Amino acid sequence: MSRPVLIRREQALRGGQPLSFAIGLVVALTIGIVLLLGAGHDPVAVYERMFVAALGDPDSWSVTLNRAVPLGLAGLAVAIAGSMGLWNIGAEGQILAGAMMAAGVARIGEGWPGPVLVTAILVGGVVGGGLWALGPAVARSRIGVNEILTTLMLNEVALRLTQWLIHGPWKDPDSFNFPLAPMIPDHGRLPALFGRAHVGVIVALVVIVLFAVAVNRTAWGFELRVAGSSGATARYAGISLERKTAAVLVMAGGVAGLAGGIELAGTADRLTEGISNGFGYAGIIVAALALMRPSGVAAVAVLFGAVQIGGQSIQTMGVSSSVSTILQALILFGAIGAGVLSRYQVRMVPGDPDDPGGDGVQVGGTT
Amino acid sequence: MNEASLIGLCAATVSFGALLYLAALGEMVSEKAGILNLGVEGMMAMGAVTGFMTALEFGNPWLALAVAVMAGALTALLHGWFTVVLGAEQVVSGLSLTILGLGLAAYLGKNAVGRPPGAVLAPVDWPLLSDIRWLGPVLFQQSPMVYLSVLAGVVVWFVLSRTRTGLALRAAGESASTADAAGHSVVGLRLTAVAVGGGLAGASGAYLTLSLTPQWAEGITAGRGWIAVALVIFGAWKPGRVALGALLFGGTLALKTRLQTFGVEFSPILLSMLPYLLTIGVLVVISVRARNRPSPAPASLGIAYRREER
Amino acid sequence: MIESETPPTMAAVELSGIWKRFPGVVANAGANLSISRGSIHAVLGENGAGKSTLMNVLAGVYRPDEGEVRVEGVAHRFRTPADALAAGIGMVHQEFRLVPSFTVAENVVLGAAAGILRRQAIEDEVADLAEQFGLATRPDRPVWQLSMGERQRVEILKALWRDAHILILDEPTAVLTPAEADELGVVLRAMADAGRSVIFISHKLHEVTGFCDEATVLRGGRTVAASVRVADTDAGELASLMVGSSPMTTERPPAHPAGPPLLEVSGLSALGDRGLPALESVDLTVRSGEIVGIAGVAGNGQRELCQVVAGLRQSTAGTVHLAGDDLTGASPRRLFQAGLGYIPEDRLGVGLAPRLSVVDNSILRTYEAHRRGPFIVAEKAEAHCVDLVERFGVRTGPLHEPMAGLSGGNLQRLLVGRELSGRPRVVVAAQPTRGLDVQGVKAIQDLLVEAREAGAAVLLISEDLDELLTLADRLVVMHDGQIIGEFDPTTASRSEIGEAMIGHDAGVGS
Repeated sequence: MSRPVLIRREQALRGGQPLSFAIGLVVALTIGIVLLLGAGHDPVAVYERMFVAALGDPDSWSVTLNRAVPLGLAGLAVAIAGSMGLWNIGAEGQILAGAMMAAGVARIGEGWPGPVLVTAILVGGVVGGGLWALGPAVARSRIGVNEILTTLMLNEVALRLTQWLIHGPWKDPDSFNFPLAPMIPDHGRLPALFGRAHVGVIVALVVIVLFAVAVNRTAWGFELRVAGSSGATARYAGISLERKTAAVLVMAGGVAGLAGGIELAGTADRLTEGISNGFGYAGIIVAALALMRPSGVAAVAVLFGAVQIGGQSIQTMGVSSSVSTILQALILFGAIGAGVLSRYQVRMVPGDPDDPGGDGVQVGGTT
Repeated sequence: MNEASLIGLCAATVSFGALLYLAALGEMVSEKAGILNLGVEGMMAMGAVTGFMTALEFGNPWLALAVAVMAGALTALLHGWFTVVLGAEQVVSGLSLTILGLGLAAYLGKNAVGRPPGAVLAPVDWPLLSDIRWLGPVLFQQSPMVYLSVLAGVVVWFVLSRTRTGLALRAAGESASTADAAGHSVVGLRLTAVAVGGGLAGASGAYLTLSLTPQWAEGITAGRGWIAVALVIFGAWKPGRVALGALLFGGTLALKTRLQTFGVEFSPILLSMLPYLLTIGVLVVISVRARNRPSPAPASLGIAYRREER
Repeated sequence: MIESETPPTMAAVELSGIWKRFPGVVANAGANLSISRGSIHAVLGENGAGKSTLMNVLAGVYRPDEGEVRVEGVAHRFRTPADALAAGIGMVHQEFRLVPSFTVAENVVLGAAAGILRRQAIEDEVADLAEQFGLATRPDRPVWQLSMGERQRVEILKALWRDAHILILDEPTAVLTPAEADELGVVLRAMADAGRSVIFISHKLHEVTGFCDEATVLRGGRTVAASVRVADTDAGELASLMVGSSPMTTERPPAHPAGPPLLEVSGLSALGDRGLPALESVDLTVRSGEIVGIAGVAGNGQRELCQVVAGLRQSTAGTVHLAGDDLTGASPRRLFQAGLGYIPEDRLGVGLAPRLSVVDNSILRTYEAHRRGPFIVAEKAEAHCVDLVERFGVRTGPLHEPMAGLSGGNLQRLLVGRELSGRPRVVVAAQPTRGLDVQGVKAIQDLLVEAREAGAAVLLISEDLDELLTLADRLVVMHDGQIIGEFDPTTASRSEIGEAMIGHDAGVGS
């Protein structure tokens, strides 16, 4: 009798990441078929609609790209921290903080000329997000407070703060007592690029490329990556960790905050409590699928944007928008599974009644 | 402010406290075994929707609760499979579980939105005790889930601190290699803990849709799963302290809708930040004190375990 | 108990013809061991002699390729440590397997508890057990509050709790103060008197002669002396059995007069990881063109000495001069720039960043030099990497892939090459050949000799006495954080050095 065991490979399969990503996508779409059939829908028609709505023509591309902006920036905010081995779970709150600060700037700068106001709104977003990450950053670098939990907690705090602003001090007097913040002035909105796409797409792309280059090509990024590999190695290489840790978390917050500013001036037009829309959490998935590499974030974000936009479009067919939510999570689970398998090979071994390895997963090659 | 509204506040504090306690207790069991599960919100949603729909279908609230517990446990086991067996990153897997659970719950419950409940867990009216002034309405006219949550707390405390299984489970969370060397199956212990945690989160979700609200709507969990995650830290991974924290945090939830009744000029929204800010405070205190003593957090929390072999 | 019912001639443990091979290494080559009941039996040998492997075979951690394990006359095939425990064999590893946040009692009963734990009851039972064997302990205390000696007693209690009648202790005194070591001796004697058998792995001969009944000496995976009665021998004889007298195989490089001092360490003291003094007023000079070897049993301050010199550990007293400049407490980068190449003991955890590419690793120390503005010039970095790879014969996959996939020998070639490529004035090499295959060892040794020929001052720390005797121009021995002797490798006898290593003839220890 023989049985399969997983043997760890010396090195992950080359090209394994895009492959596991693709497998994840296939797994997700397959399970999606089951869900759709279960609800009495024609999967082919639904998927076709999703594809057309997300990527069918320039106009749908423009919507998808708009959606990829916050996803990509949130993913970048996670990946920058991840390059140094830190977990920024707070992109959701940093987006909100960025949007709040940007909305505040829009209130003050109503009389400013367009280009100045737009720039100020985006800078406000960066500052807001950076400030929101400052607490966890200092706490982590000075006293070692776990940044996963502090950034996570601050997400909920940011949400409450946004709600408070909308229900209270910033409630629009003309909103018939609805809890709505006022619209930002027209000249504060992001200029259009093509179709419905706004210049935020360019801004986000530039920021992502800048960080990808910074992490991969500069001495600063080199130090970051060494620190992410091992703290002891970083000390050996003469890199001091404390200030870098704080700086990286604040930068990550700033990037997420920029997404908040862009959403405010690009798509939402007013501060709402739903402005972050789960982008911060989706960004963690985006970053994970990009293996925490800033350079991989943009492509994954576009794909996720397409799934989200496609998912919205099928609501007109009576399909729950939750299908796209489910697909997003399943892509990740499928990719994790495939990613693990790419690091292992399945080998049949003779059944050894003496073998104690009851877990099924055996790790070899660790001499 | 009158007596009735004060009693109402106290009773609601206990109800919300129990809701949070069930979910936090589950998360605590999972974390005690070393697995951080950030999917509480998703598991609660799954419990909430499956419980509600079972009640619609069969009209039996207890069957509904059982199904909700199962649904929560199964959802959690997905996280268990990826993190415990495959060794995937716990943070990423847990957050994906939240997204998946919320999505799946919305999908499953699409036709149940707005419908009256098929069955509810009616409040228990304890003979004699319920008539006690003050204490009666606050403690002895509550949903059965409140009493079950107390029972769950006692059972969890007992199992963790007074049984061989609990000792092994805590060892798996503190030092997985030590538990392994002592002859325990780390994989088995961790999967069990994750499933139990999911079951309790599912029960918490069912409490919402079978008793507290009782209705199904998308987003009904309203971030309470995150409060549960916070509670575990706030309660320093101890069942008793988590219970106290649950009452405190439950109090903020109860007070939120009543501030105006009491004529307090303070934003209920700002009040609802309190649990998270308190938890951050506790995190900082833990870290400062960790210079002289070990943190109360399980030492292997978040770390995948693989047996090293030559 | 049982001893009166079984014939006294039957050994408690009988290992015969044990072979255990690991990839590239034969750890045990037909080793034998016989332990009589109620005795304390020392197992002696240098690092790499196969002691730990043999004990792990007995404890069920490894399965032997060949050979027989008999316990109380019954043949066993252990598959797991639990099997060995069931047969009554308990092992106390050097690295304790304890849960720091658990109490002593909880640690003792973990894995062997009843379904329901009554805290007071188990604390009382553990206290009784401890008292029975004279193991002072506080069952209600969390382990993190305990000293190393107390933690070790908890480990012993764990084995006793599971009724182990054969107890293996792997270098038990390495973490103990001398007073604690003496106490341990008393405890072990009490256990032996109660009919249990104790296997005591050690380097420290005075402990062996102090409280062991018999000794077995291993060398090169074989038993060279079996069950010698300690009363019939002396430390000198045991020491020479341990280190042997094998002729030198590698040719020693020709000596030449050393130049000016490049590394001067004086009065250097430092604390170890546990906050205890690990280095006490060490004086050491290494001159241009010489290799100074440091011999010593692991854990006697060699690691801390390297770390202080390389700027990775703070000193509490003393100075470090590099080519005349006082660089005490300087940063690792400053020291590197001043001409210090450091080959750390922990290659993957300290010396290299395994998740980064081969190119990144090749510029780990010099990336600042590859800058243009904020950027690292990729071509320059890659050229440097290619140069290292070619000059030092590193066999790699694609240079931009993570380097974790390289074999141990190639990892070390890259590391050593990187440290030597800048022609450092001082080289500190800690265990540079450990774990490498024969070719790898030769390559690294040649590089160190080459650095010496080029005028560098080389400080070589090794647990391999042969290596030191072959390469070093001068040999100093460290014991207990101090330098306790200096030898001329061409004339010194191995047994002299061996005795110094265990702190024997220098009068250190008790």
